Amino acid sequence: MSEALLHVSDLEAAYGDVKVLHGIDFTVNVGDISVVLGANGAGKTTTLRAICGQVHTSGSIAFNGAEISQEATADIVRRGIAHVPQGRGTFPELTVTDNLEAGAFVRKDPEINADIDKWFEVFPVLGERPDQLAGSLSGGEQQMLAVARAMMSRPRLLLLDEPSLGLAPIIIEDLFGRLAAINADEGMTMLIVEQNANLALAVASHAYVLEAGTIAISGEPEVLSGDEAVRRAYLGY
Amino acid sequence: MFLLAVSVDTDPELLLARVLDGLRFGSGYGALALALVMIYKATGVLNFAQGELALLGIYIAWALSVGWGWPIIIAVILAMFATATLAAGIERTIIRPFDPSNHLPLVIVTLGLFLAINSFVAVTWTTDLKALPSMFPKGNVFAVGVAHLTWSGLGMFITVLVMLGAVTLLLNRTKVGLAFRAVSSNIESAELVGIKVGQTLQFGWALAAAIGTLAGALLVPELQVLDPNVMLSTLVFAFAGAALGGLDSPKGAVIGGILVGLIRNVVVQSVSFIPSELSVGAAVFVILLVLLVKPSGLFGSSKVVRV
Amino acid sequence: MTPRTIVEGSALHRRVQGANWSLWIITIAILPFLVAIPLKPSVFGNSYTIGLGNVNEAIAWAVAVLGLNLLTGFNGQLSLGNSFFVGTGAYLTGGLVQTYHWSYLSTLVVVIPVCLAIGLIVGVPALRIQGLYLALVTFGLAAVFPTIVKLDQLDRFTHGSNGLNIESKLLPADWMPIQGTLEAIRKIPLIGDWTGTDTFSSRQNEAIYAYFLLVMIAAASFLLARNLIKSRPGRALIAIRDNEIGAEVSGINLSLYKAGAFGASALLSGVAGTMLAIDKNFVSPDELGINFAIFLVVGLIVGGSANLKGSLIGGFAVIFVRQWATQTKEVPLIGWELNGPYGQMVLGILLIALMFAMPGGIAYGLTKIRSRIYRVVPADHRGEAPTG
Repeated sequence: MSEALLHVSDLEAAYGDVKVLHGIDFTVNVGDISVVLGANGAGKTTTLRAICGQVHTSGSIAFNGAEISQEATADIVRRGIAHVPQGRGTFPELTVTDNLEAGAFVRKDPEINADIDKWFEVFPVLGERPDQLAGSLSGGEQQMLAVARAMMSRPRLLLLDEPSLGLAPIIIEDLFGRLAAINADEGMTMLIVEQNANLALAVASHAYVLEAGTIAISGEPEVLSGDEAVRRAYLGY
Repeated sequence: MFLLAVSVDTDPELLLARVLDGLRFGSGYGALALALVMIYKATGVLNFAQGELALLGIYIAWALSVGWGWPIIIAVILAMFATATLAAGIERTIIRPFDPSNHLPLVIVTLGLFLAINSFVAVTWTTDLKALPSMFPKGNVFAVGVAHLTWSGLGMFITVLVMLGAVTLLLNRTKVGLAFRAVSSNIESAELVGIKVGQTLQFGWALAAAIGTLAGALLVPELQVLDPNVMLSTLVFAFAGAALGGLDSPKGAVIGGILVGLIRNVVVQSVSFIPSELSVGAAVFVILLVLLVKPSGLFGSSKVVRV
Repeated sequence: MTPRTIVEGSALHRRVQGANWSLWIITIAILPFLVAIPLKPSVFGNSYTIGLGNVNEAIAWAVAVLGLNLLTGFNGQLSLGNSFFVGTGAYLTGGLVQTYHWSYLSTLVVVIPVCLAIGLIVGVPALRIQGLYLALVTFGLAAVFPTIVKLDQLDRFTHGSNGLNIESKLLPADWMPIQGTLEAIRKIPLIGDWTGTDTFSSRQNEAIYAYFLLVMIAAASFLLARNLIKSRPGRALIAIRDNEIGAEVSGINLSLYKAGAFGASALLSGVAGTMLAIDKNFVSPDELGINFAIFLVVGLIVGGSANLKGSLIGGFAVIFVRQWATQTKEVPLIGWELNGPYGQMVLGILLIALMFAMPGGIAYGLTKIRSRIYRVVPADHRGEAPTG
C-alpha cells in the first residue's frame, strides 16, 4: 500500500446558493495518476478548484498530512500543488520563457534556468520559440506550455483539468503520452479530470467517476472499463 | 457669428517656442499617463481618481515645503510615499473586495474616490489659489528669441524618461515585475503559480500613486496655479496620452503624453480657427479618434475579447 | 413575520394600489405648501433646511438621473458625460429666455430636438467604443462642456465664466388658486400648522408655481421612460445590456438601439437642464462639469440602477445629502467640529458605500422591506392564490 499524498474527505463546495459537491471522498497516492471522470456539470472542475482554494468549501483536504482546505491559493501552491486549469491557463501576453519563469514564481533556488532548458527539451515545440507570445501559440502548444509552466514550480502533485479539451486527437494522444512519461520519469503524482475516458483510463492507476456532485464509482481503471454498466453510462461504448 | 479664417503661424522662433512648451507639458502628461497605465495594465480599470490622488500628493508637498519650509524635493518624495501608502490602503479596503474581473463597479468606486479626495483637499486646504515651488532651478538652458528651454522643462523631460526607464526595468527584470505582468495577463493563472494577486495589485496602486504625485509635482509649478481643480484638465490630457500610446504600454503612455503636449501647444495654438481655450476639446478629440481608429493605440497590445 | 400574500388584480391588490397612488398624489399636492417657508429641523444641535428651492432642484435632478438611467442602468452604457446634455438644455433655455425673451416652457421646442440630435451624434461613435472606453470618451465630453461655454464667440449667448443670470421670472397667472389652496391646507389638523400663518410672498408663489410646473414635466418624463422600458424597444435595450451578442443574434439592431438610448438619454437630460434653469434662474459653466456628471452617477447608484423609482430617490439624495452634509457643523456624539464644503465628500463616500452594501440602491432596499410586509403574486389560471 503506497502512501497517500492527497486525501479528500466529505468535501462540499458551492457557488453562491448552488451546491456543486455533496461530500466527496477520495485519495491520491504518491506516484499515481488518478483520474476523475464524469459528465458535464458533475463537479469535476469544481473538485480541482476546491483543492486549490479557489471556491468556498467545507470538509477536509489533507495534502501531505497537512490540512489545506482553508488556505489561500498562493499558499497551497507553495505547498507543492500545481494546477493546469481548463482552457490552458497560460499568460497570453507573456513570452514562452516568461510563462515558464512565472511558473517558477514560488521557487527561490538557482536552478530555474536549468529547469527551463529541461522543459524546452521535453517539449521541443516550446524550445523553438522561447520569445513568442503565449497567446500566439496553437491550442496544443499552449497546453504543452501550461503543463511545463505547472511543472516549473516543482510540484509534488499536478492537477490537470480536461487537458484534452479542444485539441485534435493526434495531439491529445501525444500529450497523454508525455504525461505518462513525466509520471514515469519524475515520479510525478497527477490528478487528471477528463471526459475522454478511454485515454485517461489508459494512463491511470486509479479512477473515480463523479456524478452530480458525488463519487458514484471508484476503482482500478481495468475494473471500471470492464464494468458493463460503467461503460454504458460513462464511457459511451 | 464666427469668423473662420484658416491661417497657420509659421514663424520659426514661435514654432520652436511652442514645441518646447509642448515637450514640457507633454512630459508632465506622459508622467501622469504612466500612472494611469500602471493601474490599467494591472487591473484593466481606468482609475478616474488618479488625478485626485496626485492632487492630494501635491497639496501634501505644498504643506511640507511652503508651510513647513522643507526643501521641495524632500517634500515631494515624502508626498510620494504618503500617497503610495494611502493608495495601498485604498486598494486593500475598498478595491480588493470587488470581483477584479468585473470592471464597471470598480470604475464607479474610483469615481466615488474622485469626489471624496477632491472635496477632502478643498476642505482641508481651502480653494484659495496657491503656488507650488518647482524642483528645478529657475532660468534657461538656452534661449533663441521667444523660444527658450527652461531648466524645469529639461528637468521634467529627463525625469519622465528616468521614470519610464525605472518602470520598464522593474517590470521586465524583477520578480515583482513578473508577478505584475502575470496578474495583468491572467489573474487566475497568476494565482495558480502562487502569485499573491491582491498584494501585487496593491503594489501597482501604490506605485501608480507615487508616479502620479511626481507627475503633479512636475506639472503644477509650470501651470503656475494650485487649486483643487488643477488636476482635472490634466487628467483629460493624460488620458488622451495614455489612449494615444496604448492603454497598457508604459512606453506608449510617455510618448503619447508628449505627443498630446505637442498637439496642445503646437497644433491648437498655431491653427487660428481653433480657439486655444478648446485645448481640452482637442485632447478629447484625440481620445475619440484613437478609440475609433486604433483602440490599441500606438504601442498597446490589442486584446482579443473572448465571447 | 411572514409577508401577507396579495393576488395581483384582486380587490385587495387594487385597494393597496389605490392607497399608494392617493398617498403619492396627496403628498405631491401638499408638499410645496409645507416647505415653501423652509423647515429648519434641528438634529443633534445641527440645523438643517428643507425648502422648496431644494425640492425643485431635486425634481430636476431626478429627471437628469432618469436620463442617465435609461442609458447606463437599462442599456448598460456607462456615460460620464450626461452633464454635457444637461448643460446644453440649461444653456439653451437660459440663452433663449434671456437673450431672445422666449418663455421658459417654449424653449423645450428647441431643447428637445437639439439634445436628441446631439445624443444621437454622440451615440454613433459610441457604437464602436464600449465599456470603460465609452466612460473615458464621455468623461472627456463632460470636461469639455465648461470650456465650450466660456468661448469668446459664444459670450453673447452664455455670458462666459460669470454664468448666465436669467432675469425673466416665472409668474403664476392670476387664476391659479395658490393662496386658496394654502388656506384650505391650513384647515387640515396637524399638517396645517406646519404652513405657518403668513400670506405667501410673491417669491414663494413663484416657487410653488415652478414646483407644479416641474412636477408635471417630471411626471411626463417618468411616464415616457416607463412606457419606453415596458415596450418592445425597452426590452431590446435591456437585452443589449445583459448580453450584447445574444441580443444581436436575436435580430436586435444594435446600432439603432444603442444610438437611440443615447438620444433618449440626452433628450431627458436636456429637459432636466431646462428644469434646472426654471428652478434657479441661473446657469453657470463650472457647475456643469465633471463633478455634475459624477453626481449623476451617484444619484443613479444610490437611488437604484435600472429602477425608475430609484431615479427619483437618487435625484433627491444628491441634493439633500449634499446640503445636509454641509449643514452638519458638528458630528453628533463625537463632537467633531466640521467646516467646509464637504457635501461632495459625503456623496463620494456614499457612492462607494452603496457599491459595497447595497448595489441595487435604496429603491431595491425599499422593495425588500416592502416584501417583508406584503408581496404581490400573479393570479394563476383559476384566479386563486397559489398555496405553499
